[in-house]
Order: sequence, then C-alpha cells, then structure tokens
Amino acid sequence: MKLGLIVNPIAGMGGSVGLKGTDGDAYRKALELGATPVSPVRIRQVLSLVKRRDINFLVAPGKMGEDYIRGTGFIYEVVGSIGEQTTADDTKKIAREMVDRGVDLLIFVGGDGTARDIADAVDLKIPVLAIPSGVKMFSSVFVVSPYAAARIMDSFTADMPLVEREVMDIDEEAFRQNKLAARLYSYLKVPGIEPLLQASKEASNTSKSEEAQKREIAEYIVENMEDGYVYLLGPGTTLKAIAGKIGVEKTLLGIDAVYNGKLVGKDLNEKGILELIDTYGRARIIVTPIGGNGFIFGRASKQFTPEVLRRVGKENTIVVGTKGKILKLKHLRVDTGDEEVDRMLSGPIKVVIGYNEELLMEVRA
Amino acid sequence: MIRLDLNENPYPPPRSVLEEAEKGLREVNRYCEQACLDELKRSIEEYTGIPWRSIKLSPGSDTILREIIHSFSIDRKVIMLNPSFLPTLECAKRHSRKMVKFHITPPEFILKREILQEEAREPSLVIIDNPNNPTGREFLDKDLVVDLLDNKNTLLVIDEAYYEFSGNTFSNLVNEYGNLAVTRTLDKAFSLAGLRVGYLLAGEKFMEGLSDFNVILPRPSVYAAIAALKNMQYVMENARRIRSERKRLIRELNKLGIEAYKSSTNFILVKSEFPGLGDKLRVKGIAVRDLSRDWIPGYYRISVGLPEENNILLETLKEILADESNN
Ligand SMILES: Cc1ncc(COP(=O)(O)O)c(C=O)c1O
Repeated sequence: MKLGLIVNPIAGMGGSVGLKGTDGDAYRKALELGATPVSPVRIRQVLSLVKRRDINFLVAPGKMGEDYIRGTGFIYEVVGSIGEQTTADDTKKIAREMVDRGVDLLIFVGGDGTARDIADAVDLKIPVLAIPSGVKMFSSVFVVSPYAAARIMDSFTADMPLVEREVMDIDEEAFRQNKLAARLYSYLKVPGIEPLLQASKEASNTSKSEEAQKREIAEYIVENMEDGYVYLLGPGTTLKAIAGKIGVEKTLLGIDAVYNGKLVGKDLNEKGILELIDTYGRARIIVTPIGGNGFIFGRASKQFTPEVLRRVGKENTIVVGTKGKILKLKHLRVDTGDEEVDRMLSGPIKVVIGYNEELLMEVRA
Repeated sequence: MIRLDLNENPYPPPRSVLEEAEKGLREVNRYCEQACLDELKRSIEEYTGIPWRSIKLSPGSDTILREIIHSFSIDRKVIMLNPSFLPTLECAKRHSRKMVKFHITPPEFILKREILQEEAREPSLVIIDNPNNPTGREFLDKDLVVDLLDNKNTLLVIDEAYYEFSGNTFSNLVNEYGNLAVTRTLDKAFSLAGLRVGYLLAGEKFMEGLSDFNVILPRPSVYAAIAALKNMQYVMENARRIRSERKRLIRELNKLGIEAYKSSTNFILVKSEFPGLGDKLRVKGIAVRDLSRDWIPGYYRISVGLPEENNILLETLKEILADESNN
C-alpha cells in the first residue's frame, strides 16, 4: 500500500488565539499572539494509532511530513523540497508529484485552504484522507477524529467505496468579521465510511451506493424530462450524473443547458441563461443543495440570479440530491439577495432522492 | 448474541400459547379450516371492538401493507413519512405510481400538518406508522386523522404495530370512515414474531379492494393467536415491564452521554457521534440497528430487552466509550 502524506504545518494556528484561519497576513499575527502548531500533534497521534505495517509512505519534506514519520518505524521516502516558509505552491507541487508516483491514497492534514490546494493538484484522480487541523472546516471531506483516520488507514484497500465530497471556499476576511461567505470550490474523493467522516459541518453522502444513488436519480430525472423545455443544470456531481445519462458533458462547477437532449449552453453566466430562456420560452432549473447547510440558491451558483429565478419560477425548479446529503438537512435554504424571490422560493418543495422517490421538504429564506 | 435489532419481544409467550401452537403442529398436514380462521377473527373482534367482517388476517402485518400498496397505488400517489418502517417504504418506492416522503428530522421531529394536508389534496394513499419506526414517536392526533379522512380522495393506512406499547389507537374510526385502515400485529406485544400473525381493521373501501386477499394462516399460528388473545393479562404485563425498562434505559443511556429520545414503543432511537458504534457492539455480542445506511449516520435503534440484557448493553457501552477516551 503506497500512501502519500502532506502536512500543512501552520493550519489551525489561528483558532487558539481567536483568529479565524491563517491565510495571508493572519499567520504572522497568529505567531505574534503565541499560537502553537496543531497539525504536528494531530498527525503524530494518527500515526501512533495505525496498526498495519504494510505501508510505504511517500512524505513531504521536513515539517510538511518527514519530521513526524521519522522514528515511527514506517518505511518512507521523501518527495520534493521546501524552503523555510512553506506555501500553498509547495502543497500543490508535492501533491502532483505523489499522484504521478502512483500513491493509492493521499493523506493530508490541514483545513479548508489545504483542501483547496490538494483539490487543485489532485482533482478526482486519487482518493484522499483529510485530517482536520484547520480553523474553518466547512468542506465535508474531513474525517471526524485522529482515531477515525487511523481506522481508515488500517482498513483501506484499492476497492474501498469512495464518495465525492465538497471542498468549500470561505472568504477568510468575511469570516473574521463573522460573515459567512461560503462558495463551492471543488470536489475530492474520500473513502466512504460514513460515521468516520465529519458530520457536523457535513456534505454529500453515506454508504457505498453513493454513485449508484446518483445514477438512480439521473435515470428518474431523465425519464421525466419533457421536450420543449430548456433545462439549466447547476453545479455538482449529481448534476454531472444527470448530464451523463443525457449523454452530454457537464461543467462540474458551472451551469450548462440542455434542450431536447442536446447541449445548448456551457458554463453559462446570467446573460447566457436569460438569452436561452428568451430563445426557448420555457425553462427548468435542476440543482442540488450544498451539503451541510442546504443552500440551493445564493451560495454555490450565483449565476442563478434573482432575475433568472423569477423567470423560471419555483414550479420549474427541480431539486435533487443523494440521501446521504439530503436526509441530514433539516430544511433547504435560499439567500438570493432579493427578498421577494426568497419568499417565492420558500415553503414546501419536493426533492428527488431516488428513482420514484421524492422527499417533501421546506425551503427557508 | 443479544438481539436488540428487530424490535422483538424478549419475553416468550405463556405455556398455554405454546401448547396450542404444538397442537396445531400435530395437524400440519391439513390446511387450517375456515371455521378456525373465523374464530381468530372473532377473538380479534372481541379484543378490538371492530366487527369481524371488517377484519382481514395476514401472515405478519408487513404482508398486508404490501398488498395494500399493490392494490391501491396504481392510480394514486403514496405519501409516507421519512423515516418509516423500511419494507413498506421500499415496497411503495418500487410499486407505486408516485411516491412522496415527508421529511422528518431530529431532534424536533416536526410534522407540518398543513404541508401534509396540502400534499394529500390529490388522490393519495397515505401510510403512517403510528408510533413511527424508527423514531418511536406518535405523529398523528385525532384532528389530523379526521382531517385527512374527510378528503374522500384519500386512503389512509395507520400502521399500529406498536399499539399495545403506546395505548393509542384510531381503530374506532374504521366503522365511520370507509377510507381508513389500521394494521396491527401479534408479532410484537403478543410475543409471536416466529409465528407471524398480523391483521387489518378496515373500512369498506379497503375491504372491497382487498376482497380477494384471503390468506390461510398456518395452523400453529392461528391456534397460538387465539390462545394469546385469551390471555391479555400476560401481554399487558409484559408491555408494562417493557415500558418501565424503556424508561430506565433512556435515563441510563442519557447518563452515558448517548442521546436517547422518548419513545412510545418497545425500542429507543439513540444518537451517538462515536464512530462505528454499531459494529463495536456487534463484535461484543450485541446487535442493534444502525440507521446510517437508510437514514442518518450516527443514529441507532435499540430494542428494549430483558433487564439483564439491558444491563449488559449499558455495561458494554460504558466499556466502549472508556476505550475511546483512553485512545
Ligand atoms: C412499524 C412497523 N410496522 C410493521 C411491522 C411488521 O410487523 P409484522 O410483519 O411482524 O407484523 C414492523 C416490524 O418491525 C414495524 O416496525
């Protein structure tokens, strides 16, 4: 078993001194305030809990990995090089190299920022194991505890079921001012052992049938699609599965449009969407909420502006999502920036969660 | 293995019931006579107060619930709560024209009745287990039930598998409303899970649609059921013991930091963030129902066992939680 290990040595330092994150200048401020590193403690704990010995580690140099594995008895090899101050580029560069060298699972320790760097480098090419040590963990990729991380490492096999989870981008500046500005950034694949994944700020799904669930949803949606409507497909992997079933390409984080089974718009902005509605007359939106917070509009897909939503209407809004994501949500949310549109979207809505399986939920503004 | 995963009754049926089952066993080369099946219906009539012509027998109540879905959901949608008794949900999903589930979440478990009523305006088959499995809660009250029934396009099925533990029933409305059916079972409170005896109390719309559902139950089951209904004191005493153990278990679980919700049944819904708790218990010889796959991760359904079984459960949980904090 070949495992990669990358540690963001400064992630999590803001928390103890009341800062929210260590992006940019905040890191220096955290140090001045006497913050101590969290990541080294975390990874040492995980490594001490791992029982299996058939692991070949590829580790980042020095305080990004090597320092914590030395002396543990694990076989390892150092990948890449770093300077005194570690950077996001180090993470990306080393992660890419690990992918090239064929690691089966990439373990990283950090917060949302680290998850984004890893997502940039790795995408969905290989599974990752995300050990939380950051302050802001709105991404749903992280495991619940060092103990859970060790369990996954002990039981990891090449055919272990994987689920795609969301990586979020939080504007740290806004977050420090207690405003939450979260945006879907990307996806990572993680081992799908649900109770071991963080449930508090969660996201998309549970069991091994995650992919099968998406296919089931896609089948139901596509069977019920009507000619004469332009379908606007929002971001996310569930929508990707729907596009796959139709037989068209999907921009993972953007909005694409389909009319009578044909792709008629790619990665659309508001203007493009409005033009399509003008051209075809009737439109439907298909979206999936963000895991954990349940936002369907106003967070992940800003291109669905109040004007677009007004023209499409609630009756033509179709919400989909796998059970693992949906059943944990109390309700769905909207925050379009337009009170009237928020009100129009509020109230009961049916969410497609399987083939012939719709869940009656509430939308709240 | 201590089985706390299937909501069974931990107490065996009394001697009189076992003897009747044995008697039935000695004649199993013969189908059970209609007269005998009618006698069981008469016994149920006496127990429920519903005339025997409004009663159907079924091998376990799950079978007649399936039959109802097959017979009545071709031209109407099915509305259920999510979560609900899983086999019924699965059956409705596969066989109904359209299926809508009403989303209920912890810890408040709110059923917004206006939303349900609005959804039931079109012709619907509404199936609600009351008390609900796995939450252990009762979601229905008389106003809501009557309101749903007043819409003649609605067919309402109330699954009262746990009636003897909750003490609340809507069966008395069956005579008045042809669009109401209540399912019950002797598999739980009467300790007959291994013999599978269920029944339906239903208004005329249901009885018409199910006119060719006439199942001959196994002879041992019928004999045992008749005997069991003669000994209500035994059943009610067990139900009382289980309720009192339930109360104790909820209190003790909460003390351990495991959130245990109130229940009107012989099982308890609990929540624990502890990773893989179900597997850990199984390894130590206790089976509970892990709801992560079918509902929400971190939730478990635990049947109330014998007092000594419940003690072992509590001790084992303590050990597991202590192990974790040492790690
Ligand atoms: C809500 C509910 N309904 C019905 C049943 C089925 O009971 P039976 O088929 O044994 O009568 C169960 C069993 O667990 C249940 O929990």
